[in-house]
Amino acid sequence: MKPMIDCDAIARQLWDFLDHALPPERVAELEAHIAMCGHCGSHVAFERSFKEALRAAQREGTDATALGARVRAALRAEGFADARNG
Amino acid sequence: MTTATPNDADFESQALCHLPEVARFARSLTGDDADADDLVQDTFLTAYRQWHQFELGSECRAWLFTICRHRFYRVHERAARQVAVEDPELESLAAMATFHSAQEAGLSAAFERQEVREAIFDAVQSLSEPYREVAQLVDLHNHTYDAAALILGVPIGTVRSRLFRARRLLQERLLTHAIDAGIISPTSGTQSGGMSQ
Repeated sequence: MKPMIDCDAIARQLWDFLDHALPPERVAELEAHIAMCGHCGSHVAFERSFKEALRAAQREGTDATALGARVRAALRAEGFADARNG
Repeated sequence: MTTATPNDADFESQALCHLPEVARFARSLTGDDADADDLVQDTFLTAYRQWHQFELGSECRAWLFTICRHRFYRVHERAARQVAVEDPELESLAAMATFHSAQEAGLSAAFERQEVREAIFDAVQSLSEPYREVAQLVDLHNHTYDAAALILGVPIGTVRSRLFRARRLLQERLLTHAIDAGIISPTSGTQSGGMSQ
């Protein structure tokens, strides 16, 4: 049975697929192709692991609590009714 | 002002809760903790002064990121550089070539290693501004294409093309790094790990 879409179409829409930026009917078409195509399946697996690694690579900066206190103090000076201050 | 308290309560619940995320975004823009802290304070002060313009129910996080980015460029007296929209067909071919090189070299197995995670962060920081911004917004801060387009003030197609190119550039750099560091071994045909951009 001939696939509805080919490998080139998968490659073009792969990131839209992984970023959940495709309509459901298109997702179903891609999933059907990926399920029966080893090459596209491994391509999807690779890009998905790359995305996960990218997400995990964030670094925290300075202490968010201390920064939050500083921002709140500046806001109070502007008239902000800080619920945490009294 | 009888409306001051409710507005401030809304600011508390809808804006200030995003401070840690805005702080991470600010740090990714400035590359410096002290400058990032100043930028975060500036962002929230600006947001508070403009709070009456904010439409309750719209996406506050994207609104704060937009302010943060605008304040950053205002301070630095420069505008984000514009880049030409890439040819989707060429970009797709280039991405496929990069995938084949990375797969042959076993790059995906190295993603779990801490030194590779460090290299990923550094690689993001080394991207030129238009590509770095979109990778940070979508990949690190989990914004949708629509929200990233709003924050950057560009069409969604530009977000998409920059993002795809940014990811390919990152993969090329990681491949080069992993090979140079001896984490993986190059195989025949693994010659596309260039540093171009």
